[in-house]
Amino acid sequence: MTWLRLVRAELRKLGTTKMPWVFVAVLVVISAITATAVLIGTDADGSKAFIATREDQRSLLAFGANAMMGAGLFGAIAVAREYAHGTVVPMFLTSPRRGRAMSAQLVALFVVGGLLGVVGAALTIVAGAVSIVMIDRAFLLTAGDVIRIVAASSLAAAFGAILGGGAGALVRNTGGAVTVAVLLLIIAPPLVVQLATDAATWVPSTVVNVVSGVGTETSLAAALVALALWGLVPAAIGVGAVQRRDVI
Amino acid sequence: MTPMHALRFEHVTKRYGGTTVVRDLSFEVEPGRVTGFLGPNGAGKSTAMKVLLDLASADGGRATIGGRRYRELENPPRTVGVVLEPNAFHPGRSGRNHLRVLADGVGVPKARIEELLVLVGLGDVGDRHVGAYSLGMRQRLGLAAALLGDPPVLVLDEPGNGLDPQGIRWLRDLLRERAAQGTTVFVSSHLLAEVEHLADEVVVINRGRLVATGAIADLQDAGISVRTPSPSQLSTTLREAGATVDSTDDGALHVRSMPIEVIGDHAHRAGIALHELSARPGSLEELFLGWVDGDETSDAAQTQQEEVVRV
Repeated sequence: MTWLRLVRAELRKLGTTKMPWVFVAVLVVISAITATAVLIGTDADGSKAFIATREDQRSLLAFGANAMMGAGLFGAIAVAREYAHGTVVPMFLTSPRRGRAMSAQLVALFVVGGLLGVVGAALTIVAGAVSIVMIDRAFLLTAGDVIRIVAASSLAAAFGAILGGGAGALVRNTGGAVTVAVLLLIIAPPLVVQLATDAATWVPSTVVNVVSGVGTETSLAAALVALALWGLVPAAIGVGAVQRRDVI
Repeated sequence: MTPMHALRFEHVTKRYGGTTVVRDLSFEVEPGRVTGFLGPNGAGKSTAMKVLLDLASADGGRATIGGRRYRELENPPRTVGVVLEPNAFHPGRSGRNHLRVLADGVGVPKARIEELLVLVGLGDVGDRHVGAYSLGMRQRLGLAAALLGDPPVLVLDEPGNGLDPQGIRWLRDLLRERAAQGTTVFVSSHLLAEVEHLADEVVVINRGRLVATGAIADLQDAGISVRTPSPSQLSTTLREAGATVDSTDDGALHVRSMPIEVIGDHAHRAGIALHELSARPGSLEELFLGWVDGDETSDAAQTQQEEVVRV
């Protein structure tokens, strides 16, 4: 019961600042960019081949990788700013059992990150669909495609948010936490793939594409497990870090 | 009936790197009293409080609240109200929402938030972002947060910082009232005059070590200023009665170890006119400086002795 109260407090914490709305505004901008690309963008030969088939449209509108990246930044900033503003003090005074406090915070990030993923995917699909229809092309995605893209975006964002949260708890400095999240999600994966080609199957963008129904590099179950590990391992490291050190 | 909780520091030591910030610190803070926690900047007051609140781990000893560590308390904000960092707020969150977040975690009804906002004088500005609050308003919000769970223990680090004179008076009345109801009030401050008005007891530390503790009234038994046209005659009379008497630079007598009314009685019986008989203003300050300087002098002497031994 006490733990559920902590989750509720963390959800209220996230919902009572402008930060989620700033991220929603960014999602609106991204969806507008998608619509603009559909309206005025072309392939090298001047055609609209990039939206010609159902697979093309699914690939264009799959939002999972973006959602994971964006939510990773959201989680990193949300946790690191607790240290910047000193609000980590009342947080750990309310629950001095730090594992409980951190797990409540990560669950709240998982929920809000998942919601941001839903909003991002929904906005992108709506903007893409409207702009495709506006240029007299058919919107080819099925209801099943749409549901899978939205669900994949939600899961990717949820796990991305707790990855960022783990980075924030570990580094405690907002700039540093954002850097770690970017490093984990964008910079490190291609470098690792350079060293070990087989690793390409398991980098965030690939597993998210498999979950979205865009890629086929591995099974859906394996991709889901890999996606979860990308979020859970950094989160667990973050929880472990706050157990041992002084809060302030 | 409100449960009573004494605070107990038992040989607490805390080091940061190679520096010992709190050194073998032992003392007790009683319920139903206001205890001032004094020390110069960097004396280790905030660190000691952080150890008590399990925000920092002790390298030795332990600090307990009613016999239990902070982390062992069931729903700790229901037992201990804390003001520790004057700026521990998100500047973009309103004061009301700050309290709502805490109330969710503690399990306090919304009505209590409104009650506290009014109590601390923020009823009209509860929806304003904390970033727009003055330091005094943030201190009041911090106090509201500390009182949220109606705890029987208050641990307050410099709660008077930024408060205007009315605010200081309001704080003093609030803490005295809470103490009268049985609350354990442990308050650090560098405003000695304020502590003198507020506290029943003081704990003084310097460089992490305890240098004095006890009831202010007992510790201040030295501070009576007397002016008379017959200083030498009065000095002799009072010394014979057991007082310690010193002459001050401004011609007054500084009398210790004798209550103010007894000094008056002796003067009256000896037929000595008095032009002033008053508790020395700022005497806690003098005592404080004496304790701290004494501690440092003793340290210097010890160091010198050690150096001599080494030579």
